[in-house]
Parts: sequence; structure tokens; C-alpha cells
Amino acid sequence: MSDDLPEAARGRLHGGAFTSGLSVADLAACHTMGLEPVGLVQGFCAMQWGYGPARTGFGSAGGMGMGMGFASGFTPNVARGGYVENYQCPHGMVSAEHRQWGQNYEQTWIEQSWQDGYGAANHRMLEEATTLGAHGVVGVVDSVASLADAGVVEFHLLGTAVIVTDLERPSAPWTTSLAGQRLAKLFEAGYAPVSTIAVVSSVRVWASCMTEYFMGSGAGLWSSPTDSVEIDQLVSARTRARQLVRERARSQLHGDELHGVDVRVNEREPGAGDIDIEVQLRGNRVRRARHADPLALPRPAVSLS
Amino acid sequence: MSTPPPPAHHSAPDDLRAAVREALASPATTATHASRSGLTSDLTIDETLILHSVEWVPRDLVIGLSVQSVPSAIWSWGSGEIELASRAHARAFEHAIARLHAEAVAVGAHGVVGVHVERRILASHIEVELIGTAVAPADASAAGGTKVFISDLPARDFALLLMAGWRPVALAVGASFTYAPRRAVGAALRQQTQNVELTNYTAALYTARSTAMERMQRAALDAHGTGIVDVTITEGPLHFAAHAIGFTAWGTVVAPAASSRTIDPLTVVSLDDAVSSFDVAPLA
Repeated sequence: MSDDLPEAARGRLHGGAFTSGLSVADLAACHTMGLEPVGLVQGFCAMQWGYGPARTGFGSAGGMGMGMGFASGFTPNVARGGYVENYQCPHGMVSAEHRQWGQNYEQTWIEQSWQDGYGAANHRMLEEATTLGAHGVVGVVDSVASLADAGVVEFHLLGTAVIVTDLERPSAPWTTSLAGQRLAKLFEAGYAPVSTIAVVSSVRVWASCMTEYFMGSGAGLWSSPTDSVEIDQLVSARTRARQLVRERARSQLHGDELHGVDVRVNEREPGAGDIDIEVQLRGNRVRRARHADPLALPRPAVSLS
Repeated sequence: MSTPPPPAHHSAPDDLRAAVREALASPATTATHASRSGLTSDLTIDETLILHSVEWVPRDLVIGLSVQSVPSAIWSWGSGEIELASRAHARAFEHAIARLHAEAVAVGAHGVVGVHVERRILASHIEVELIGTAVAPADASAAGGTKVFISDLPARDFALLLMAGWRPVALAVGASFTYAPRRAVGAALRQQTQNVELTNYTAALYTARSTAMERMQRAALDAHGTGIVDVTITEGPLHFAAHAIGFTAWGTVVAPAASSRTIDPLTVVSLDDAVSSFDVAPLA
């Protein structure tokens, strides 16, 4: 048993009766598959993230923010190693309030903090499962919620640890968000669960003058355009944020497959035309364990009730 | 009296247990194609299996989006169609579809199924985001040379469409934004206390609807389709513009497949209807 677990947790895990987050139907399906639930396992982690390394020279998020002093191609320290794109003002010197340039950049410190928090909660859940001698954890769900104070995020994972009788234990328990009939179908289709995967990307848009104008908060220095145009900076930032999570998930697959991908996007606009984009991607990493022939073509049915 | 034989499915748990043990015993460790980039898919396990039953497989999660600016002043005054807004809506879809298409081609797919359409119409811009799973026949040579299709049909409906002898061709979109002209001051005052149809709004709705549906149908014909299924319609006034009406429609264009097939559905009478019950509600 892991020494890291509190005594109360160790006592609970060896209480003699199993706990689980399974519905009755999922419990029945578990028994049908030969999986025996041994305990409801959970992992928590509360993380705080600040604003990254000092943003020397960035100023406020308002009209002055993109001030006059930056040459094209300026790259803030916070974005090094991540995605950065600059958008130069095409007008030259207009006024002190005019945005001379805009920038999209990846908030790598937020991503790192998110991964650390999620990873720690996942590790703690797995630690409990290992303590119970589990082969895997089924029906894993997670919640990522802000705590009372802004900038503090709580990660919570929970699932039901299961053992497979007379089967050698893997070096680390496998995990999956599937349970019940869906998990049974996965096995029947010749797949084995490997792990749940959750990744995040965070991209900040500091709007250029044109982006700010097109997003509807322009100072009215130009006449209304006679046609619509694509807002390149925003399209680029949103596309890159989604591509980043996809690439990040792929990099964890090592040739396996990620099924049931769920993409969630959170955007907030802290200032006129400035946008924080966060994209979360979750899915089940599965591995093909054997060849499976396609199912017979299903027969469509017309219900008369 | 002899005991009836157990139903055939009683042997299933043993098979399932064997499948579970086989799957969990073997791969404990190494991926089959560790050198290959992994596959991502937003299909559920059910959808993956039904796709497999019609001999198609997922290739990758693909994304396409666009944001088109709209001068916010255009929504207030005018008559007839708000052409710039209709054009911006069309371009937003056109660009997003083109990007989704390019990603699908890059992964060697023959189409994209289950495309989720996220669309927002704001006073200053129109946003479209498309996300779906690129798919290809399991036997890559089976449908070589066909044009890559985009479809918002879920994988289950895609499989049923193929089984019925049809194929998806493209995503067709039609939209129109129209001014609902203001009434004359005298008419507005006269009608203030009456129950009366506001014909300016009704007429604007009919105009927008007619134009949008015609555009969607034109898109289907341009794609060499013979029909559109599962059309999603949104219509009505816009929250930021009191005198503008919008009507948008999109759906999957379909055409008969080369090899004609028909389905023979099984007619079933369900015996698990919801139980009839009643609630006792307190008086008053």
C-alpha cells in the first residue's frame, strides 16, 4: 500500500465492502464481463496560476495596451516555445490610443499548470486504484471547476476500480470513461482500454487595430467597409488552439487510437477585441488487441408503437 | 415435462469474458503501431462499430472555421435583403467548409461525417465552426477517386444512407437576412392598441425563407445532388436588430449510389411502452 495515502483513506479502502460510482446496469455489465468492482477511487488537485512571467512592456489590455514602443516581430517571454503570431497595424502612426500591432500567443504556463493539475489528480486516483490491487478503473469522469478565488482551479477525477480474477496485474491500472454496455462493446470489437486522455490549449488574442475594429469596438476612424472580410487574426488563433489540443493528444497516443473525443471551448473577452481561448479535449485511448470482423449489417426496424 | 433449453445467448457471457481477458492480457504494454501517429475520432464506440459494419473506418478529427466581419450599422435601416450579411454568412460557411475539406484530404479521407455546426450571428461578425470525423473505406481502393464529402449526418445515419443505396455528397447552406421595414408613424399609432398582424415582419420572414431555401437548393444542384436530408432551420428576428429577420438552412446533399440497394426494414411492435400512470395533484 502506498505510504502517501492518509490513514483514513487506507482504512476506508480496506473497509471490507466495495464502493462504486456504477449504476446498477453498469454493475451488472461489469460482472458479465468478469470485472469485479473493488472501490470508488478519486483524485483531487487544486492549482493556482498567475499571469505567467512578467509581461514587461505590455501595459493594459485597453487601447493603450499595444503601445508604440514595439517593433514588428517582438516575442514576449511568456510565449517562447509556443505559438506566436504578430499582426502589424497597416496605418502607421495614427494616435497614442491606436493599436500599433496585435498578437496571438499561446499561454504555455496556463497549459502547463492545467496539465500538472489534471495529471496530479489522475495520478492520485491511480494510486488509490493500485492500493486496492485494481487492474483498471472504469467509468472515469472528471470535473474542472474554479474555486472561490479567481485563478484557482480544482481538478477532480473519479472512477470505479475493478479487478479481473486470475489475471496478472498490469504495471499501472488502465483507465477508461466507458462503463457497462459500452465497455463491453469495446472489448467485443477487439479493443483494450489504455487510458483516458485530457489535454488543453490556451491562446490569447491581443487584437490588432483591424481586428478590434472588425470585432465591433473600433474607434470609428475608418468608414464602414462595403463588404465583409475575414478576421484573420481571430481565425488563426481559434484554428491554432484547436490544432494544438489535437496535436497534444496525438503525441500521447504512440500509435494507439483516441475514441469518443469531446472538444470543449471556453472563450472570454477581458477587453475590447481581446480574447482568451481555452480548448479542452478529452477521449479514451484504446489499443487494438485483436482483429475483429465487421459486425453484420444491422437490420433497420420500423416501430409501430 | 422436460425443461426447456436455455436461450442461445446464455453462452454470451463466457465469450465476452474471454474477449475481455484476451484484450487485457496481451497488450499490457506496447502499442501496435508505435511509430505511427495516433488516430483521433469523436465517434462513440457504437458509431465506430456501425461504421465498421458498412466497411468504413475513422481517419482523424478535422476542423474548419471562419469569422467574417459585418459592419454593425447595416442591420438598422434599409429595405429588401441585407445583402452584405447574407454574403458574409455564405462566405463564413464556404471558408470553413474549404478548411475542413483540406484537412480531410490531408489525412487521406473520403469524407467527413457527424459534422457539428457551431454558428453565431453577432452584430459585428458571423462565426462558423465545423468539427467532425474524417472517414474512409476500410479498403482504401474501394471508392478511389471520389470527391471528398462533408456531411452533418451522424455516423449511424451515414451507415443507414449507404445501406439504402444513397451516398452523401456535400453540406448545402442557404441564408438570407432581410429588413422588416418600419411602419408609417400613423399606422403604428393606429395599431398600437389593436390585435393586428405585423405584415412587415411576416412578409420579411417569407422573403428571407424563400431566398434561403432557394440558395440551399441551388447549392445541392451545383454539387450534383438529388436531394437534401436532415435540414436544420433557424429563423426569426435577431436579438441585436429589431428590424431585421434572418432565415438560415443547411443539410446534407445526397445522391443515389452507383450500386443501387434498398433496405427491407423489419416491422416491430414495441412491448415496452412507458407505463401508464397518473399523478395526484393537490387541489388549489
